[in-house]
Amino acid sequence: MKRKIAWLLATIMILSLSLCGCGNSAAPVSEEEASTITIWHDKEDAVIQVLQKHLEELCPDVTVVLEKKSNLTEALKMVGNNPTAAPDMYFFAHDKIGVYAEMDILQPITEIIPREELDPYMGNTLEAATYEGQIYQLPIYYETLLFLYNRRYMPDDAVPSTTEELYAYMEAKTNGGHYGFVEQHSTPYYAAGWINGFGGSILKEDGTPGLDDESTIAALEYHKKFASLMPGETEYATVNTLFNEGMAHSTIGGPWLIPTVRESGMDVGVAPMPVIDETQTPISPYMGVQGIQVLKLAAERKPQAVEQVLRACMDQQLEIDLALASGCAPAREDCYSEAAIAEDEVVMAMKETAEHAVPMPNRPEMDVMWTVTGNLLTDVNMSGKDVAESAAKAQEEALQLIEAMK
Amino acid sequence: MKRITGLLMALMCLVVLGLATVTLSVRADEERIPVYMQVPADWEGPCVWAWDDDGKGAFDAWPGGEADADPANEGWYYCWIPAWANHVIVNGNAGTVQTEEILLDGSAAWITVAEDASFEVSTEALTEGDAPEYVEKFAIHAKVDDSWENPGLWAWSAPDGTNAFEAWPGKAMTAGENGWYTAKAPVWVNSIIINANEGSVQTSDLTIDPAEIWVTVNADGEAEFSYVDPDKASLPDVTIHVSAPADWEAPCLWAWSAPDGTNVFASWPGEALEADESGWLVKTIPGWVNSVIVNGNEGSVQTTDISVETGKDIWLVVTGPEEYEVSYEEIALPEGSASTAESVAEETTAATEAAAETTVAEETVAQADEKSGTNPVPFAVGGVAVLAAAGAGIAAYRKKKSA
Repeated sequence: MKRKIAWLLATIMILSLSLCGCGNSAAPVSEEEASTITIWHDKEDAVIQVLQKHLEELCPDVTVVLEKKSNLTEALKMVGNNPTAAPDMYFFAHDKIGVYAEMDILQPITEIIPREELDPYMGNTLEAATYEGQIYQLPIYYETLLFLYNRRYMPDDAVPSTTEELYAYMEAKTNGGHYGFVEQHSTPYYAAGWINGFGGSILKEDGTPGLDDESTIAALEYHKKFASLMPGETEYATVNTLFNEGMAHSTIGGPWLIPTVRESGMDVGVAPMPVIDETQTPISPYMGVQGIQVLKLAAERKPQAVEQVLRACMDQQLEIDLALASGCAPAREDCYSEAAIAEDEVVMAMKETAEHAVPMPNRPEMDVMWTVTGNLLTDVNMSGKDVAESAAKAQEEALQLIEAMK
Repeated sequence: MKRITGLLMALMCLVVLGLATVTLSVRADEERIPVYMQVPADWEGPCVWAWDDDGKGAFDAWPGGEADADPANEGWYYCWIPAWANHVIVNGNAGTVQTEEILLDGSAAWITVAEDASFEVSTEALTEGDAPEYVEKFAIHAKVDDSWENPGLWAWSAPDGTNAFEAWPGKAMTAGENGWYTAKAPVWVNSIIINANEGSVQTSDLTIDPAEIWVTVNADGEAEFSYVDPDKASLPDVTIHVSAPADWEAPCLWAWSAPDGTNVFASWPGEALEADESGWLVKTIPGWVNSVIVNGNEGSVQTTDISVETGKDIWLVVTGPEEYEVSYEEIALPEGSASTAESVAEETTAATEAAAETTVAEETVAQADEKSGTNPVPFAVGGVAVLAAAGAGIAAYRKKKSA
C-alpha cells in the first residue's frame, strides 16, 4: 500500500513538473552561480578523485562540485527541470538517455561541442550516446563483459576460440561438481551476447521488441545446450562464487570481477569472446558507456562553464586516468596508443570485445524488456518450454507493456 | 546412469560450497622460504607446522606441510613455507612425533633433528645447490574397498606424460580417521590412478582438475569423484511445513542451495505443496537446501528469497510476498492459510496489481542495477508521464526472482 502511494505521488509530481513548467531558464544567474557546475554521479571515490583533480587543473575558473547521488535516476526525474534543485550535469551510464531526452531535460552535446570534435571517439561509444539522432552524452569510458578463465584449469592454449569448442570443453570438464563454463544464462544482460551474436535483439533500434525474431529464436535454441551444462540457478552471486572458488574453469563476467578473483590468488586470463560457429560472429555482449550528460537548464543558464567542463572532460589524459581508476576502457580511440592503456591486458580485451559489442539500448522501452526477457529465458532454460512459443508469448507481452507505457 | 550419478554427485558437492568454504592459509603468489630438515630414520613422512607471531597458521590442519626428499642431498627433506611464518615444528609419523617450537628469522633454515627430538638450526646452508622450485600441491582423498590394502596414488600430466612420482605404484596414501586415505600431488597433475595391494589392483585413468578431490573406489576398481567432501554433503532430508496466504492457489515450493545455485526441482515454479493431516502444506526436501520460495497461482505470486538453515525441519508462515516467519520448532498453524481453507483451491485469483507492481519493479531494478545502477520508474514518453507496466496490471511476474 505504501509503495502504491509513493508511485502515485511520483507520478503526480512528474506530471506537475511537466505541465506547469517549473523550469525557469529565464531566472537571473549570479556570477558565482554561473561559474559553479554541479555534477551528480554514482561513481566510487577513486574515480571521482581523479576527475576532481583533473578538473581543478583544466578549468580553474570553474568551481566543480561532484556530488554522489544515491538513486540518481529517480532524483533526476523529479528535479530535472527545476533550476533550484537540478544538477548541471551528471556522470552516469548511457542507457537512461532516452528517458531523459523524452522528458526534454537533456541538451544535445553537439550543441555545445561541434560534432567534428567528437571524431576521436570510438564510433560505438557515440552510437551509445545517440538517441533519436542526437548525441546526448560525452563518452568517458565503457565496459563490456569479458571471457575470463582460471589458468590453473584452462591453460592459454586450451581457451576455446569458438562456441562449439567451448561446448566440447564443457562436456569434458563438467564433472564432480566442477563446471567447464558458467554464466548467468537466464539473465538478459548476459544472454544478450548470444542473441546479438546471432543478429537478434532484445529491443530493436526503433523501440520494438525483437524477442520473436527468427535470429533471436535461433540464439535461444542454440544457447539452451550450454545452459544445460551449467547449474540451474545462475544468479550473479552464484556464478561469481563458482568462478572465484575454483569450481568453474571459465565464465563471462564484467571487469569488476577481476580484482576479486586476483585477490583470491587466481591466475585469471582474459580472452576474446568465442566465435559462434553458426554465425561466425563472436558472442557480442552489451556495452555500457559512462559519460557526462548536460542538463538543458545548465546549457541555457551557464553556457561558458558547461563548455569549459565538457572540454576538460575530453582531455586524453583525463580519460586514460579515469578509465584506469574504474577498471574500464577509455572512449577515445587515441588513448589506445598510450602505453598505460596498451599494456593493460584487461582494457585491451575490452577494446577487442567492444568491436562486436552492442551498445545497451538507451530507449525507455528497454525498462520493460528486462523483465519480459528474463521470464522468457527462465521459460526456455529452466522450465524447458518450447522456444518459439515462449518467444511469441514474450513478444506479445512486451508489446502490451510498451503500449501501456504510451 | 553414470551421468545421473555424476550429476547427483555434483549436486551434493555444490551444496556444501557454503558449508565447506576453502580457507587456504597460503596464497599461491606469496613469498616463501625453504625449510630443510634431517629427521630420525623412524620419522616417516616428515611435515612442518608453521605460524607467525600472532598465531596465524600457514597450513590448514596438523601436521602441516608435507616435506619432500631433496634428490640432490640424500637424507635431507625440504618444505616451502610462507616467509612470514617464523615459528615451526618439525614432525613425523602423521604428527605423532615432533620437535618443540623452533624460531626462524624469515630466511631459509637447515634443521637437524636428533633421535630424542632435540634439534639444531642453521642459517648457513648445509646442503648443496638450491631446493627444487616451489610447486603448489593439492590433496587427493580416496575411500577404497576393504579388499584394497595400502592404497597408493599414481599421478601424471597428460598428454605430455610427465609423472609426479618416481615409480609405480607411486605415493603411499595416508590413512585418516574418517576412512579416507590422502596423498598430495603437484598442481600440474591432471590425471590420476588410485591403486592398492602393491599396485596389483587399480582404477582406470581418472582425468581430474588440480583441486582437492574425493575419489570413491569399489572392489572392482570403478571410481567416482567429487570436488567437495561427500561426508559434508550427506545431510539427511528435512520437511518444510508451509502456511501460505489463502488466496494463493495451488502453492508450490521452489528450493535451492545458495550461493552455488543447485536447484531441487527441475523447473519453475517447483513442486506442489501437499496438505498433511495437521493442515500444514508439506514437502520433503534435501537437507542441504538453504533457500526457498513459496509461490502460488502457477508461480505468478511468490515470496522473496527466504534463507533457511540446512538440515533442520522448517515451519514457514507466509502472509505476503515479503512477509513471512521461519521457525525450526513446530508452531500452531495460523487460521486462514491456504492449507486450512480448502475452498481456496477453487478461487481464481489473478495476480494482484500490487504483486505485479512489486515484482516487476524489483526484477528490473535488479537487472539494471547490476550494470548501470539505474532504476525503472515512472517516466515520460512523448511528454506525458506514465507509470510503467505496474499500473497496467498486465505484467504477471512468472519467474523466480533474482537472488
